[in-house]
Amino acid sequence: MSVYVTRSGHHLPGPAVDNERIEEVLGRVNGKPSRLKARILKANGIRRRHYAIDAEHRTTIGNAEMAARAGEQCLAAAGLGRRDLGLLSVATSQGDLVLPGFGSQVQAALGLGDVELHTSHGICSSSMMALKTAFLSLAAGEHRRALVVASELASRLFKASRFEAAGAEPDFDAEFLRWMLSDGAGALLLEAAPRGRCLRIDWIRGYSHADAYPLCMSVGQAPDGRTWQDFATYAEAEAAGALLLRQDVRLLDNIVKLGVDGLLRLIDEGRVAVDEVDHLLCHYSSHHFRGRIAEMLTQAGAMIPEEKWYTNLYERGNTGCASLFIMLDEFLRTREPRPGERILCMVPESGRFNTAYMQLTVVDA
Amino acid sequence: MQETLITTAAGQDCLQGLMRVWFDFERQLGRLPLIQRLDRGELSLAEYRTLLLNLRQQVIEGARWISRCASSFDRHHADLRSVVIQHARDEHRDYELLEADYVAAGGDLAEIQAAPRNIGSEALHAFMMHRAGQPNPIDLVGAMWIIEGLGQKMAGDWAARVEAATGGDGGYTRFMRYHGENDDDHLATLYGLIDRVCQAPEAPQAILRTARVVARLYALQLEEVPCD
Repeated sequence: MSVYVTRSGHHLPGPAVDNERIEEVLGRVNGKPSRLKARILKANGIRRRHYAIDAEHRTTIGNAEMAARAGEQCLAAAGLGRRDLGLLSVATSQGDLVLPGFGSQVQAALGLGDVELHTSHGICSSSMMALKTAFLSLAAGEHRRALVVASELASRLFKASRFEAAGAEPDFDAEFLRWMLSDGAGALLLEAAPRGRCLRIDWIRGYSHADAYPLCMSVGQAPDGRTWQDFATYAEAEAAGALLLRQDVRLLDNIVKLGVDGLLRLIDEGRVAVDEVDHLLCHYSSHHFRGRIAEMLTQAGAMIPEEKWYTNLYERGNTGCASLFIMLDEFLRTREPRPGERILCMVPESGRFNTAYMQLTVVDA
Repeated sequence: MQETLITTAAGQDCLQGLMRVWFDFERQLGRLPLIQRLDRGELSLAEYRTLLLNLRQQVIEGARWISRCASSFDRHHADLRSVVIQHARDEHRDYELLEADYVAAGGDLAEIQAAPRNIGSEALHAFMMHRAGQPNPIDLVGAMWIIEGLGQKMAGDWAARVEAATGGDGGYTRFMRYHGENDDDHLATLYGLIDRVCQAPEAPQAILRTARVVARLYALQLEEVPCD
């Protein structure tokens, strides 16, 4: 049975924040401007982003609430009610609560009755895992309609006070993502029948390499190796730096190779023909990686011409697992792809190296 | 931006296969305790010496199989023979650099020179010498792909990690770094070879198979390096 992405939605909180204003919102650690900010922003190329916290560090909208707004946009666009859904499948890297699963909070915020629920937890690729669960549920005939929502509220991790609580001046690995990640939610409505001009999901496939690579992006581990729950109190864990979001930048280049590796596998399996791809939506975290991926694809003879690449990273920010949905939503609203066109989506995640891919074909009902 | 250096469709398919074999090889390496220690910055100087000691035999034998490989090409493959001879000439004494690094890292020259091949080196050497003795062993392009790739990885990644972990200043990582210096030339040569040999229809499969075997045996060689 075919499955279609029939509508999409997004929510980006508050006004866009440009590079000059980031520190006004996130704060200056120990009152001093960051020495790394300009360098990291230059490499990632991001010019604007949104935050769900204000300059006083009050949360202006919760993660579940953002997810609900993106989801509501989908339902409204389709003219569907809350009783029309069989499955709610959501993803985030960090819910507002540690427990229960983020999905429960999103369901409550949306006021959805009697749905089957799935929560996918991880970093950037968690949205693709949530999407795959919904895709398979519909393909198997379990449900007729599913709402898939990915939402991130990373800015709370980046308040200056968090770094101050962890003691010494933040190191490069701890500060790297502070100038990279921001907040937002994206949602997709999946249906077992097409609705007007929409996208058929041809396949979704992931390859995870956690067995062969060290941890690259994480929250919860102190530099001495202890995890946050190993400390006597959470205050001690925070003081030891276990609650900072860290990126081991030395390992980051592996994501380029693994991203290309997955694509070459898909070519080998006959799932992807590069000359038949009309649009590439690749969630690269930083402009720096766009060039590296293009270089390696060119080397492999599997390059998709740059004019076919679409992203809104530079204007909407890197919203982790929500990025691809927010990107797809804006792509559909602004580019109006034609029936028969193929869209290849790619989400290489550096957490512990999981890469996910999806192919969509534009169809008319 | 880097241009593709491969010009034929068969060569391109073969290169894609070789890249996948390489990525898989890197994952095999990433599962080894020794490499994990290197990646985490925990390698001790003693472990580095043990690594060099275990690499030495294969480096010496490497010069032999590539020379033998050259002599196995007939006159229809004289252009290939020239390339392989040049390669053999470039690298046939690089083990001396490795031995000097071992001594600079606090090791005893007599000890490294007396060390036997480990089980993985034994298997790798036997396979390479066997293939190199076959008529026109074009599949050894696959072996060169893995070994050249590893040279680049050592130069671009391992040498710096060894130094960071052991507090070195470059004085005992010259062998690893040496392989970075001629990178571009060797890589361009290798791309040229892939295009050339893939003119034969059976070549890509043979090259990929040999690349897979060499990757597996090289990983076995590193697996056999004792690690505390």
